[in-house]
Amino acid sequence: MSLGDELRYLRALHGGGNLMGIEDEIGLTPGALRYMEQRYRRVGEDEEVLSKIAAYYDVPLEKLQWHRERYRKALSAYLHQAMEFGTTARFELRTGETLTGRVRWWDLGAFGLETGDDDPLTVVQRHAVLDWEGSINNEAMNKRDS
Amino acid sequence: MPEDLRKIRERKGMSINQLASRSGIPLARLIQYEKGAEEIPYTELSRLAKSLYVEEWDINPRSTPPPRKEQPTRPSKPKKPPQKEKKPRPKSPPAREAQITHILKLAARFDIDREALETEIGKPLEELTQKEARFWNNHFNERIIKEKPPKHPIDRKRSYLPEGVDGFELAYLQEQQDANATLHFTLFDGQAFEGTVIGFSPYQIIIREPGGDEITLNKLALAYYRKAGGEA
Repeated sequence: MSLGDELRYLRALHGGGNLMGIEDEIGLTPGALRYMEQRYRRVGEDEEVLSKIAAYYDVPLEKLQWHRERYRKALSAYLHQAMEFGTTARFELRTGETLTGRVRWWDLGAFGLETGDDDPLTVVQRHAVLDWEGSINNEAMNKRDS
Repeated sequence: MPEDLRKIRERKGMSINQLASRSGIPLARLIQYEKGAEEIPYTELSRLAKSLYVEEWDINPRSTPPPRKEQPTRPSKPKKPPQKEKKPRPKSPPAREAQITHILKLAARFDIDREALETEIGKPLEELTQKEARFWNNHFNERIIKEKPPKHPIDRKRSYLPEGVDGFELAYLQEQQDANATLHFTLFDGQAFEGTVIGFSPYQIIIREPGGDEITLNKLALAYYRKAGGEA
């Protein structure tokens, strides 16, 4: 799950406040949090800003740093590669489930996964993917969540 | 014998500005008096006399107009040197490769291939000059504007960027809605819903449960969905 998706998730867990209000409360420049939530590329380079956000949502800084490495473009690259070469892809979802299968299509918000020959296509929301096979530090993620 | 105002002022070594300042008479009017364009009224004659330390009758109320300066005659324009013999224009350089490629592209819009094009032009494309190439480019551009030939599909491989669209998911949902298929939805928090799709947008999916209830599912809350019957 990308940092943007995680921040959106955390915001929802914390009552779904509006971005401008939270930015003001944390002491971020206007638009900083919005930028991080919406970008597809790697964001959150500024450790100081990331620390402030982590403190506000009461989560460890390392957790946000971990999500920072799983930016949306990186997932796109994995999906694209899996589809192009017809390889079996593996995804760990925020629900705790692990889905394995072949990627039939992918787009802005979701991807179609064929989990078995007779199984119906599963449409997975991209923001539900916590981690995927081949992403960096995959084992560390497993330890972290266990 | 009264003298012209200017003569008196100059003799006294006073500038016209100083006189204007001392007498309180506007400079522009003093200039008119000195030129003899206007007669000095008595009241002002008295003020000027005081300023110049002379008697009133020493000043000529209407100065003699200065003689007109002769306008210097314009020097006649020097005659142009005899024109040199015109050099023959340098021949246009050979057409650039990009120009030829462009002509071929434009011609292709009219289903004219290279051979047909060379026949129309009357010589091989490599022998075209830049000037000629410009002419043929313009020729086809004008034809395109007038005749509007259909565009051929661009024959080049473009990287497909599905991130720019969310068409696949929407197409899938449309398909399921048309088929009236029952879908099973799993949310982030583990909740599950089942129903047929009755509407959707990039952010929401509206389903009708078997009992008839309509539920709007926010996609942000969704983890995944599939046709009912399959297990994760």
